[in-house]
Amino acid sequence: MVAPDTTAPVVTVGVYYKIGFRLEPQGRSGFAHLFEHMMFQGSANAPKMQHIKLVNSSGGMLNGSTSYDMTNYYEVVPSNALERVLWLEADRMRALKVDDENLKNQRDVVKEEVRVNVMNQPYGGFPWLDMPPVAFRNWANAHNFYGDFADLDAADLADVQAFFKTYYVPNNAVLLMLGDVKAEEGIALAKKYFGEIPAGAPPPFADPSEPEQGEERRGNVEEKFGTLPAMAIGYVMPKRRTADWCAMALLDQALHGGRAGRMHRELVIEKQIAVEAGGGIDDIFGYNGPTQMTTRVLHKPEYSSQATLEAFDAVIREVQENGVSADELEQLKVKWRSDYYATLEGGRGGYMPKYGLMHLLACFTLFDNEPQLVNTILDGFLAVTREEIQAVAKKYLRNEKRAIVFRTPVKAAVPAGAKEAA
Amino acid sequence: MAARVVEIANGVPGLAAEGAVTWPKRTKARLSNGLEVILAEAHSIPKFHGELFFRSGNAAANHRAPGLAEMTATVVRTGTKKRASRQIEEDLRRIGADLSSGAGADTSAISFAGLSEFAEALLALVNELAREAAFPEAEFERERRQKLEEVKLERTQPEFLASERLRKVLFGAHPYGEVSPSEAQVAAYEREDLQAIYREFYTPENGLLLLVGDFDAQGMLKTIEKVFGAWTGKKPKPNAAEAPANPHGRRVYLVHVPGAVQTQIVAGCHAITRKHPDWVKLGLTNSLYGGAFNSRLVMNIREDKGYTYSPRSGVHALRQHGYFSVSAAVRNDVVAASLTEMFYEMDKLRSVPVPVPELADAQNYLSGVFSMGLATQDGLLSQLSTVALNELPDDYLETYRQKVRALKPEDLLATARKYLDSANMQIVVVGDRAQTEEQAALFGEIEVYDAQGKRVD
Repeated sequence: MVAPDTTAPVVTVGVYYKIGFRLEPQGRSGFAHLFEHMMFQGSANAPKMQHIKLVNSSGGMLNGSTSYDMTNYYEVVPSNALERVLWLEADRMRALKVDDENLKNQRDVVKEEVRVNVMNQPYGGFPWLDMPPVAFRNWANAHNFYGDFADLDAADLADVQAFFKTYYVPNNAVLLMLGDVKAEEGIALAKKYFGEIPAGAPPPFADPSEPEQGEERRGNVEEKFGTLPAMAIGYVMPKRRTADWCAMALLDQALHGGRAGRMHRELVIEKQIAVEAGGGIDDIFGYNGPTQMTTRVLHKPEYSSQATLEAFDAVIREVQENGVSADELEQLKVKWRSDYYATLEGGRGGYMPKYGLMHLLACFTLFDNEPQLVNTILDGFLAVTREEIQAVAKKYLRNEKRAIVFRTPVKAAVPAGAKEAA
Repeated sequence: MAARVVEIANGVPGLAAEGAVTWPKRTKARLSNGLEVILAEAHSIPKFHGELFFRSGNAAANHRAPGLAEMTATVVRTGTKKRASRQIEEDLRRIGADLSSGAGADTSAISFAGLSEFAEALLALVNELAREAAFPEAEFERERRQKLEEVKLERTQPEFLASERLRKVLFGAHPYGEVSPSEAQVAAYEREDLQAIYREFYTPENGLLLLVGDFDAQGMLKTIEKVFGAWTGKKPKPNAAEAPANPHGRRVYLVHVPGAVQTQIVAGCHAITRKHPDWVKLGLTNSLYGGAFNSRLVMNIREDKGYTYSPRSGVHALRQHGYFSVSAAVRNDVVAASLTEMFYEMDKLRSVPVPVPELADAQNYLSGVFSMGLATQDGLLSQLSTVALNELPDDYLETYRQKVRALKPEDLLATARKYLDSANMQIVVVGDRAQTEEQAALFGEIEVYDAQGKRVD
């Protein structure tokens, strides 16, 4: 897919594979992410270190990321390096070439990644790693996505090759070029470098669906470093691309839209129970299976978890009983539109130009086979009514549809400045 | 482990000719009240990004209390004479805007982005925050209490503890030596202190307004005159701090975090500001050392040895001084091994000229990523603010690539010898003392601190 724009002599290239950590093999938790690291470790004509070297030395940056339902690899380079980058991506799609030494090396790197992001950080992995085992029953949705170290250690080269053969086939991928490239030129280059890579069997996909949830679920996790008690409350989301889904997105904006959002306003500013109250639907276009809208709250130690949860519930009850005003809905829509434009330009990559547009085009292709949704998806959100928002608040924000994780400090907290607290 | 032989790729397509980079025209003006204005058009999306800077930050307020400029900026957005906090937040949402306020060592800033169709309304709100902030008592108390929690949380983050200690070691009593207030200092903030900072710092003569985005520059300039024209105020008096002494000899500072499952390392030495003529040379040297994924240090301790996920080096330019640092979060049993490699790669750059092909690769990298700032509105804003705040020449953006390309191996050898001062590096290690002290002590005389900053030996 090619999306031309000549603002800068820069081109963004992405290859998305429809495989994420949701569907990695049982007994191999963390494998999809470990495998992503292996894709930088060498291919038939570009051995270890060459992928990174060839992109950097062309004046570009590269990275990859693993998500629930897909894994991406992307480069932003001066447009004179486009052909080189396509050659590299095609080489590793055709023939990954790694050995035991590479695997051991990247296993060590991944363990340090987990330590720096999770095990040695206050509130590390909260709630993205803590919530799934509490909220979900299907292993696909409920396991540790970064991986248990025992599972990472058990992964061998045969696993790497099998995963590659099964999921990294061209018929399970989409290639994108955005920026300083002409449409015909981009398509011709795609054919030149990728056209000969043989298709594979359609990859098998385990069913990620969840049994209908009928009770509130709760779990506890120890917090080793921080002294503030925390909780995360997640509600199961409606199916993507339904009218309910659009209404939930605007309800999410009403609840979690920054400092104007009701959660922050009520819990942090008005009642002053929490130090942080935010969250929402993470990467709303980027998943293709069960997910939640999640609120993350860090609260003051002088308030109990019970009192904090009651204050949270009061916010939910208020929107269920009274919905949102016409004026609030109008604000929510303007902000949603503005945020959507920002996503298209930069997106969550931040420093990566057009990351967001690339991401949306890829997701709409892999999950919906309809990339042109990028032009029309906004309409559904802008058509949401007050009645619909109130209706989804009642239908989805129910206790029997939610899960709560408490992250409890092991160190006794001394309330800061307790004397001036209300 | 012996370093593996680097293999070569086969059949790599060559690079086509480098495309021309055309930086957009900048419209510059100074309003009669002294406010400096820089505008650049960028029509990628129907939005614009802006930043109103004041050329005074935490360093200029440090003799009153550390972090006071940051606290002032935080409370600025919580109320004006016309609008209460809730009104401000809803008005921002009504026009699809984002806004934040904060202060670094050298500047205070209100940053914002919004839809072009509501540009004037957003600028009017920014103007109100800059001129008529009311510092409501209740908001101040609430924000101070928030800050106390933030300050406590920082002390549980290894990266914060490492950078805080390094700054103390490198800058001592100079304001740059203090990156964050203590709990007691936050508790002692007074609302009147914030208002005094606000009156002195937030003036048009001390200000720079930068806008990048989808607008017509001439029309926007008229809007700015209309919105900000009646504002008045003088530049604050500069308060000169004595230059910090440059520490001599390697020393090690261990911050003890009981039970840490990983060790955060940072080492650093004094370097230069952005205005210094060696800036581009040091930037390229840093990118060869540890400033890029393809750099020597990353290839060594990550891709070859697997000690760490996140090694990096950088040159940090503050307004009056700068410093160089290298950091990595490593496995507890390879602290000494990682430091050894950090120094090995530094000393190698100080002793052996960089091979020409490797130099060309690094020049391509720096030159290429520099142009990416052009591709997004906030990327361009950040490039323009670097030039303006550091008072770099007008043609800095246009001539940067050429300056990078002109450098030779001997320039980099001289630069590494001058600035990658391995003999005088100050080393900070944040981790469990029982697991790291013996390893760290191999590199110099050691001082041990706890996470609260108290010396414990």
